[in-house]
Amino acid sequence: MGSARSAGNENPRLDAPSVWLYAGLVLIGLINIYSATSDPNQGFHFSFNSLAGRQMMWIGGAVLLILTIAFANVAVFDYFAYGFYALIILLNIAVIFLGREVAGARSWFGFGGVGIQPSEFAKAATALALARFLGTYGIRFKGTRNVFICLGLFLLPMGIILGQNDTGSALVFLAFFLVLYREGLPGGLLLTALWMAILGIARIVMTSRGVPHFWTYGILAVLGAVIIWFGRKNRQLVITVSLITISSIVFSLLVGFAYTKILKSYQRDRIELTLGLIKDEQGKGYHLHQSRIAIGAGQLVGRGFLKGTQTKMGEKSFVPEGHTDYIFCTISEEWGFAGVVVFFLIYFGLLFRLVSLAERQSTTFGRVLGYSVACILFFHIAINIGMTIGMVPTIGIPLPFVSFGGSSLWAFTLLLFTFLKVDEKRR
Amino acid sequence: MDLHSNRRIVYFLVFTVVALVYLGKIFSLQVLDKTYEQKAINNALNKITIYPARSIIYDRNGKLLVYNIAIYDLLVFPGEVKELDTSEFCRVLGITREDFLHRMQQAALNAKKRQKNNAYNKSAVFYANLSTRQYTAMQENLFRFGGFYIEPKTDRLYAVKGGAHVLGYLGEANDRALKGDPYYRPGDLVGITGIENTYEEFIRGMKGIRTVWQDRTYREHGEVKDDEFNKPAVAGPDMYSSLDFDLQEFGEQLLNGKRGSIVAIEPGTGEILALVNKPDYDPNLLVGEARNNAYRALVTDPRKPLFNRAIKGTYPPGSTFKTVTALIARQEGVLKPGTMHGCYGGYHLGSLTVGCHPHGSPLDLKGAITISCNAYFCQVFRDVIDNPKYGNVKTGFSQLEKHLRSFGLGSTLGVDLPGESSGNVPSIKQLDRRHGKSWKSSTVISLSIGQGEILLTPMQMANVAAIIANRGWFYTPHLVRGIGPRRSLPEKYTTRRYTSVDSSLFKVIIDGMEGVPKPGGTAWGTDVPDIAICAKTGTAQNPHGQDHSLYIAFAPRYNPKIAIAVVVENGGYGATWAAPIANLMIEHYLRRNEPSKNPGMLERMLKGAVL
Repeated sequence: MGSARSAGNENPRLDAPSVWLYAGLVLIGLINIYSATSDPNQGFHFSFNSLAGRQMMWIGGAVLLILTIAFANVAVFDYFAYGFYALIILLNIAVIFLGREVAGARSWFGFGGVGIQPSEFAKAATALALARFLGTYGIRFKGTRNVFICLGLFLLPMGIILGQNDTGSALVFLAFFLVLYREGLPGGLLLTALWMAILGIARIVMTSRGVPHFWTYGILAVLGAVIIWFGRKNRQLVITVSLITISSIVFSLLVGFAYTKILKSYQRDRIELTLGLIKDEQGKGYHLHQSRIAIGAGQLVGRGFLKGTQTKMGEKSFVPEGHTDYIFCTISEEWGFAGVVVFFLIYFGLLFRLVSLAERQSTTFGRVLGYSVACILFFHIAINIGMTIGMVPTIGIPLPFVSFGGSSLWAFTLLLFTFLKVDEKRR
Repeated sequence: MDLHSNRRIVYFLVFTVVALVYLGKIFSLQVLDKTYEQKAINNALNKITIYPARSIIYDRNGKLLVYNIAIYDLLVFPGEVKELDTSEFCRVLGITREDFLHRMQQAALNAKKRQKNNAYNKSAVFYANLSTRQYTAMQENLFRFGGFYIEPKTDRLYAVKGGAHVLGYLGEANDRALKGDPYYRPGDLVGITGIENTYEEFIRGMKGIRTVWQDRTYREHGEVKDDEFNKPAVAGPDMYSSLDFDLQEFGEQLLNGKRGSIVAIEPGTGEILALVNKPDYDPNLLVGEARNNAYRALVTDPRKPLFNRAIKGTYPPGSTFKTVTALIARQEGVLKPGTMHGCYGGYHLGSLTVGCHPHGSPLDLKGAITISCNAYFCQVFRDVIDNPKYGNVKTGFSQLEKHLRSFGLGSTLGVDLPGESSGNVPSIKQLDRRHGKSWKSSTVISLSIGQGEILLTPMQMANVAAIIANRGWFYTPHLVRGIGPRRSLPEKYTTRRYTSVDSSLFKVIIDGMEGVPKPGGTAWGTDVPDIAICAKTGTAQNPHGQDHSLYIAFAPRYNPKIAIAVVVENGGYGATWAAPIANLMIEHYLRRNEPSKNPGMLERMLKGAVL
């Protein structure tokens, strides 16, 4: 696919392993979309009006997109990064007012029969803009101004998408924290995030178990006091631990407030289901339970292609959305654990490959772009699959390259191949 | 190259950890936990019972007797009934709120039971056997009542109005049937009595299963195309009854206005040609929605129309029993054709007198049968049980008892109807209890003429006639002559049973019986020209009222085609009702489609009433 116009790269072509892994995922997606939407009473039956048929057209479009990228001058990505970013931001704002409402969110533009979701493209645009900024000569992830610009670049679209009421898509932007870690974001910040997560979960568990508030703070205070007592000779430590303890208590207070006052009740249910605090297979936990049934039914080698039973009846399926957000259920039931292992090898193989490619970039632009692709994909995969098996609260985001949908497929293709093109032209 | 390039390790680490943790979780769901497979099947597949058609029942001439119509059950997935407009539902179905709650509770219980048995389907019958009105109303409104669906099955229709006690009726499987046979489900119709009950396992056929895809609202999405999940229903095989329904209906007409039984048997095969009881009922009453009410009315009817007298009613056989006494005496060697006994208005022994009607005296065996002399058979009976060969009366009696049992008396014959009575042949023990230990032949002398402790069902009486017709053997009487295309039959109905009386000893008794309907016989005036009817009248004393009129017969004498017993309760002399009815039956059977040569007698019997 590549063209030999560059002098820098001895082997000027798009990275073959990545392209193959990408093709494999798209094919797996198509097969399982077909299966999830097939009529169990009919044999093989194909129509372009079917969802699988439409996905094939989306794939055709994605191929055109790849060809366009492959023959484009790599300089345009850098050059148009901000413009593209600005355009996408505007579109995302516009969709709040002009879009049509789907499942409570305003994130879709409708054009006749097809729709487009600008938030899908915001990830690619943000990745490019962030890469462009950090790739600018003389700029590094250091200094208040730069740090704030970096954070702003992805917190802005995240906020806008939250405004579209599409929490799932917005959360994915947290992946950029992971990207920035490679560019020098202090590891302590990630550890802090981890500590906050632990605190938050502990707070939620205690709240739902009816443990009085002061226990949380009491335990934290005692814990802090004990550490301070033993390290009382070390002034630095005493100050640090005191700060951590106080801020932890404040954070716990905030979490308690946010959890009960800001989160909607269905969101609290989803979190509590994931934490195993409530078990309600017929009610609140119905979808999670059904999703696990579908996955569990696959057993070691699966029921086989088209033989799945849980995702095939459209909206009234036991696991609805078996071709989009819950496509992992379809894969698991029909191909079993063996299929899941292969699927993981392809997916995580691609992630590893992307990190390796990112590391071989000579430009910050290329590296940041590479890590962005890898981290965004990782977030999507972790959240989506985690949701189907009940390790992450239910958050409706697609499985990249695999789930049905043109916007998602094109946006991820754009993201991946922009980077692969940049990689091809690396010096 | 740059400061943080070793941080790549963190990414590899995070990716790997997440992948492994997820794979571990998925492994536990898919491989370690085996329950999800079944849960998924429970979810997606609904096993729908296909009810087979019950056997069609024909008579021996191929006349259709019993067939099927489609009826419907209302089933429910108890867990799926949400937001049901209960009052509207009750209105459509025509039930009360209490009834609704009760049925819902019951259905939930049954559904739970079925799930335990690994049935895929979590539904249970909510209302069995919907009426046409209920079915139509429900069908129109079903879409509003989530969780309910309708399943077709079959109920009976009768092409005839008679034969109720033979054909039997259906009813909903009771708790015992449900516990005893997992084949049944609450609301299933099973044969309660008649051959519907005896041959239930054949007649019911074999339920089939249709497995359909369903979504989470339990809406059907077509059939699962896999033979493993589908089994067609197998209809019950055609049943060929031994009844000659033309004769059966004729018998029912003859017995109208009377209380009693007619049993006609083909001696050569043991096939029952007619089994008539009066009072009886129209089998069409016990069908469909009216079944339960009609059944209650029949059960409480003081005339006992449900009572199958032919096999459950027991009567002293009276003088018809003299044939048996004579046969046993012949076998015991204490009676010769030429043995003469005198009769002096009865049998006198000390203070004992068994009265007799006036007739010529003395008589030989043939004459004694024809005339039905009591004194003659009292003497014969004493000769049997006081036979010096046996030393004492009890040994002699036990010899008699053994012979009687070989005639199928004192125990159930094994007719293919439920609830057959064994009648009674007194045992020595029973006689000891009744008469004290030191009874003599004179104490039990009335047994000789079929009175006292001896009791027979009309079926046993008809079988005695068949035994005499066959000269010593019989097939267990039965109502079904063939099941299915191969017309197979249980072995017990194709095995000859021999009595302990040698066939050469029957001739004189038959000679005597041939004279019974003729001039000089006890049933003089009831014979049918040109048919040699061998018969014996009986008049059974009835402590509760008027004597029962009895008659056993077979015809023609050579190569007999029909053996018959008639009991008309409170009918008086055997010759009054039982003999004419039996002889008309014989004439009707042997001279099919010909007008009776005894029109006056026929008229009298059809119109006559004994009630």
